[in-house]
Amino acid sequence: MTSVLLLVKVSWRNVWRNPRGTLLTALALGLGLALLLISLGLLDGGHEQTIASAVRFGPGDVVIQAKGFQDSGSQELLLAARVVSRVDAFLQTAPMKRVLLGVSPRLLATGLLSSAANSAGVTLVGVIPREERAVSLIPQRMVEGTYLSDDNPSGIVIGAAVADKLEVKVGSKVVLMTQAVRQPGAKVKGVTGGEMQSTLLRVNGIFRTGIQAMDANVIHLPLPVAQTLLGVPDNQVTQVALLLRREGDSLMVAQGLRQQLAGAPVEVLTWRESMPMLAQILGLDHAFNYVMNGVVLAMVGLGILNTILMRVLERRYEFGVCKALGLRPVQLALMIIGESLALTAISLAFGLALGLSVEHYFATAGLNLRLLFRTGLPPALVVDPMLYSRLSLERIVSSVSIVFIVATVISFYPALKAARTELPDALKVL
Amino acid sequence: MVQPAVELNDVSKTYRTGSIEVPALRGVSLRIVPGEFVATAGPSGSGKTTLLNIIGGLDRADAGEVWVAGQNLQLLSSGELARVRLQRIGFVFQTYNLLPVLTALENTEFTLLLQGVAKHTRRERVQKLFSEIGLAGLENRRPAELSGGQQQRVAVARAMVTEPALILADEPTANLDSATALALLEVMERLNRATGTTFIFSTHDPQVMERAHRLIRLRDGQIASDEARDRQAPVAAAKGGAA
Repeated sequence: MTSVLLLVKVSWRNVWRNPRGTLLTALALGLGLALLLISLGLLDGGHEQTIASAVRFGPGDVVIQAKGFQDSGSQELLLAARVVSRVDAFLQTAPMKRVLLGVSPRLLATGLLSSAANSAGVTLVGVIPREERAVSLIPQRMVEGTYLSDDNPSGIVIGAAVADKLEVKVGSKVVLMTQAVRQPGAKVKGVTGGEMQSTLLRVNGIFRTGIQAMDANVIHLPLPVAQTLLGVPDNQVTQVALLLRREGDSLMVAQGLRQQLAGAPVEVLTWRESMPMLAQILGLDHAFNYVMNGVVLAMVGLGILNTILMRVLERRYEFGVCKALGLRPVQLALMIIGESLALTAISLAFGLALGLSVEHYFATAGLNLRLLFRTGLPPALVVDPMLYSRLSLERIVSSVSIVFIVATVISFYPALKAARTELPDALKVL
Repeated sequence: MVQPAVELNDVSKTYRTGSIEVPALRGVSLRIVPGEFVATAGPSGSGKTTLLNIIGGLDRADAGEVWVAGQNLQLLSSGELARVRLQRIGFVFQTYNLLPVLTALENTEFTLLLQGVAKHTRRERVQKLFSEIGLAGLENRRPAELSGGQQQRVAVARAMVTEPALILADEPTANLDSATALALLEVMERLNRATGTTFIFSTHDPQVMERAHRLIRLRDGQIASDEARDRQAPVAAAKGGAA
């Protein structure tokens, strides 16, 4: 025990034998850790924001729809009325109420929207305004007019690019034309399946999401209007979108729904399944980031290796003396590993202080991506130009652990070299 | 009959560099009794350093027997050799070789710490030695804050503090001026007399040769002469027998 304390004392003092070298190494290693923390914080924050935006502009954290709709997108595929009832009943249970933020039934179809000036192909989304507000971000992105309300049955909201193309503004009249859904059996609401239907609507509001595919394609209209136009019964919709308090509960909710709806011709998808491309892009982004962090760690590791190795080589004679005095090889190795650990500890303290300070700034003030992308933001991934860092304790612990392990493992080589100091070669005399 | 502190029987050592063989020791036999104050002298390449390396367990002979404090070093593993060095042998190097990050006191108690000696005993021994060899008051200075003579005294204290049977000193005065060298020699001689510890030097320094009780001259790896000097004979209560 006493000799261990001696080795600790010698190691610690050896670290400060060359203060400038120690501080430079600590700076390099600390910067490596700080970069790791900052990049992970921005990455996780960016992904979280992207997912949050994507699910709220898209199908929600979890979506229930007729089996096959995900692949075909056919507007003929509707959820049966009894399925919608079972979903409603399940979502009313206490455990579901605790995790749910909003539920929005939607009827989706394609159509042609025309004004006096022009026409545009659109994806029409029939919604219950009050329900849709709880799920979608579109009501919050109105740039003109207002979102749909339950007391305005002929209102419609359209994307800014659609409005530009049709040269319409709030209050303008537009005609929506679509093909009625083919239902087995008789007419529904007086509409025969497959027939072209049209209706006159008035622009209630214009939204701008920043996502070109939505602004140039999507329109929202009241669900009853859409059902009438498409000849769909009142209790049938294309999908039910769920927004959860925590994205992490998606799988649990989806599994609960799958059990509840077992045997019914439906598909229950988490956002990863309903937006596989996004999941893949985020996965790829993670992988790329891991590679980059690996490169940073490798550089940091080589820096540590170089510093410790140089110190060991410079002190070959000293190690020879220690060995001559009776220090065993394992004690010499422990002394070098101790030096490396002390250097790493100093570096980690510096890196944590710097990394967490910068991360805290980006977590509160945010990073304005407009400053980085002067020519325009990439539309696919980040919706909000303000990127807020999000760094979990788990990430911090794992990052610190990785750097610590890398530095420790790397110190084994110089430690081995010191332990293998050959007597009497290491001593110039005696 | 007193067990010798060091006994070498027909010891040979040859260094090989590629295909070139350089004989360093050729059939050296000698016997040093406990408490002797011995100097080995000779020109460069005569085998002084090799002799001390082999006696100190820092190197192994190719042939022959090397007995130190009753143990045949040739039969010991490297770990056992390290233990013998720690417990039974003290070293004084030409260039002091104190650990620069430790104070004079810490350098001196370094080997005691490795032996696991209690703090109270360590401090007591170090303080006593420091008083005896004129280092009192310098305990907390680091090597860089000490003169060459003071550093070498600390090195002697480090070698002596474990109360070894044998101290090997390689040209301990080589880097010191003559006055400092003489003072250091007096310190070592006094310790030799007081404790009975066996001292073996290698040296080029006439002062050291002059003060040695026995002078062994080496030439071409062999003992050219081995003469007792007109000095005090080994003390009766000398250390160095079997542990």
